[in-house]
Amino acid sequence: MSSSSLSISAEDQRTLERFYFHEARLLDNRQYQQWLAMVSEDICYLMPARGNPLVDNGERGNEQMISVERELEDSASLGCPIREEGYIHLMLRVERAFKINSWSENPPARTRRLVGNIELMSRESHEWSVFSNFHLYYSRPGNDSVIYSGQRRDVLRVNADSFRIQSREVIMDYADIELPTLGLLF
Amino acid sequence: MGYQVADLVNDDASLVSRRCWSDVGIYELEKLGIFGKSWLFLGHESQLPKAGDFVQAYMCETPIILSRGEDLKFHANINSCTHRGLPVCRADHGNTKRFVCPYHNWSYAVDGRLMTIPQESELARQPDKSLLGLKPVPRVESWRGLIFGSFDPHIEALETYLGDMRFYLDAFLDRFPGGIEFMGAPHRWVLNANWKLPVENQLGDVNHGAFLHSAIIPREAQSLIEKLGYSVVTRPGHGATFRLMPEDADVDDVAWGMEGMGGILGGEEVQEYLRELQASAPARVGDLRARMKGLTYGIYPNLSFLWSNASFKVSHPRGPGKVEYWSWAVVPAQAPEHIKQVLRTNYSSFFGPGGILEQEDSEVWVQQFKGSNIDFADDRPYFYGLGLGEEKAHPELPGLVSVTANEFYARHFFSRWRDELQAAEDAL
Repeated sequence: MSSSSLSISAEDQRTLERFYFHEARLLDNRQYQQWLAMVSEDICYLMPARGNPLVDNGERGNEQMISVERELEDSASLGCPIREEGYIHLMLRVERAFKINSWSENPPARTRRLVGNIELMSRESHEWSVFSNFHLYYSRPGNDSVIYSGQRRDVLRVNADSFRIQSREVIMDYADIELPTLGLLF
Repeated sequence: MGYQVADLVNDDASLVSRRCWSDVGIYELEKLGIFGKSWLFLGHESQLPKAGDFVQAYMCETPIILSRGEDLKFHANINSCTHRGLPVCRADHGNTKRFVCPYHNWSYAVDGRLMTIPQESELARQPDKSLLGLKPVPRVESWRGLIFGSFDPHIEALETYLGDMRFYLDAFLDRFPGGIEFMGAPHRWVLNANWKLPVENQLGDVNHGAFLHSAIIPREAQSLIEKLGYSVVTRPGHGATFRLMPEDADVDDVAWGMEGMGGILGGEEVQEYLRELQASAPARVGDLRARMKGLTYGIYPNLSFLWSNASFKVSHPRGPGKVEYWSWAVVPAQAPEHIKQVLRTNYSSFFGPGGILEQEDSEVWVQQFKGSNIDFADDRPYFYGLGLGEEKAHPELPGLVSVTANEFYARHFFSRWRDELQAAEDAL
C-alpha cells in the first residue's frame, strides 16, 4: 500500500474525476438504474470486515504493525467480509430501491457524496486501478444523521470514451458499526 | 417513574407493556434476573483450536475473554484488571501467552491467573497473587461446540437447560461430519433498539417475511413456508421454526445451503458438495431430522441461529435502548476452504450490517423502540394474542408445536421473562 500513484496527464486525471463526480451525482439523485449501467456485469463488489487484531510484538517499530491491511477480513481470508457481491446483488439493491416496501429507505435518505483523492495506481492497457476517498452524508427523517467515510479501490475498464467499474473494494472507516446500514451503494 | 413487574405482562402473556422495552429500572432487573441467572453464549470451539487462542465475548454488558488454556480447557474471565479495572485485552481475537494491563503492566496468563506485578519487587511484602486473578465466570460448559457461560454458580447443567432444544440444534450441529465452523470475528452492529426484539424476530417470527421483506422475498417462497412450516417451543424462550420437507422431496429442495445466494451462485461444484452432505444426513441425524429445513432458532435469552442464512447471532444489550448485535457466518467445518468462502455469502448477502434483508429488520427494531417510548399510550400494551392456545404436542416433534402464524413462541418467552423478573424484584 506504500506505492505512489502514477504520474498522469491532466486530461486523464480530469477524465477520472468526471467519471467519479458523475457517479456520485447519480447516486445522490437516486438514479440507481443509470448508475447500474456504469457497472460491469461481472463486477466483484467487496467490503471487507474491519476488526482489531492482536498487535504482533515481532512487528514493533515496523509500519506493518499498525497497517490498515491487518485489520481487514477480505475475500481471500477465512473470516467473513461484510459484503461480497456480484452484479445480481447490486441489481437486487437497485430494484429494491424502486419498490414502495423498501422500508429502511422509505422515505429515502438524503445523501451527499464528496469524492476526492483520486489516484491512478496502475494501468494495464484497458484496465485502470484507481483509488478514491469518499465522505457520504446520510440523513433520514426521524433518525440521527451520519457520515460514512471510506476508501474505494477500483478497477475500471476502459469502455469507449468512459469506464465501467470492473471491481470495487470499499474500505470503510468504522471502528464499531454505529451506522444504520452498510448496504448502500458506495 | 418505577414500574412493577406485575404490571408488564398479563397472565397468558397476550399483552406486553411498552415499558418492557424502554424502562431503565426494568432493564436493571433484566441484568439481575435474566443475564445473571441464565446460560449465555460465549463462542464456538472452532474459534479456539489451540492453546493460547482467545476471543472477546460479552455477557450482557460485561466484557469477557473466552480463551483456551495450556490445559486446552476453555476459560471465561471478566476482561477487567484486578488492580484498577482496565481491560487487559483489546484485540477481538488472537493467540497470546499473556494479557497485560496497560496501566501498571499487571500480567495474566491466558486462563486468567495473575502472573506478575512489576512493582512488587520493590516492596517488602508481596500480595498473594493466587487471589488476584481475573474474575472467572463460575460456570462454563459446551454443547456440540457451542460454549456458554453463566454467572450463577448453581445453575442447572447446560444440557438440562437446553433440554429438548438439543433435538433441533443437533439437526444442524450434528448434520455435518466434523460439525460446524464460525468464520472470523463477529460483525458487531450497534443499533438504537431494545435487545429483545431481534431475539423475538429470530425466535419464531417468520411471518413478517411476507410483509416487511416483500420487496425481496417472493410471495411463493413465503407460501411454501406457510404450507410446510412448523413452529415449536421446547421450553419457554427456546424455540425453532422449520420446514419439514416431504419424504419424496428433491435433494435440491432439502439440502442445507442450497437456498442461499452462495448455494445458488456457487455453481455445480458447491451444489454437488451440498447434495453429498445431504445424502449423509439421515445416517447422522435420522430420517426425520434429515428432512428438516430450518428457518429460525432461539436459545433463551439472547442467542439466535438462522438456518436458512447460516448465521449465529447474539443480541447484547447496551441499556434498554441500545443493542450490539453480533453475527457470524457458519459453515461445515470440513468443507474445502474455497467452498466455505462461497457458503459464507449465504449469510452476508441478506443478513448482517450490509445484508439486503436485514436493513429492513434493523429499521423495524429501531422504530419499535421509539414506539415503546411514546407517552400517553401505556394503556395500549402490545398485542401478543395471535393463535392463543392453539399450540399442541406432536407425535414426532418434541415440544409444543403449531403453525408459524401462532405467536406462542413470543408469549412463552415473555411468560418466562416475567417470572424471572418477578423473582428478581422479590429478591430486592
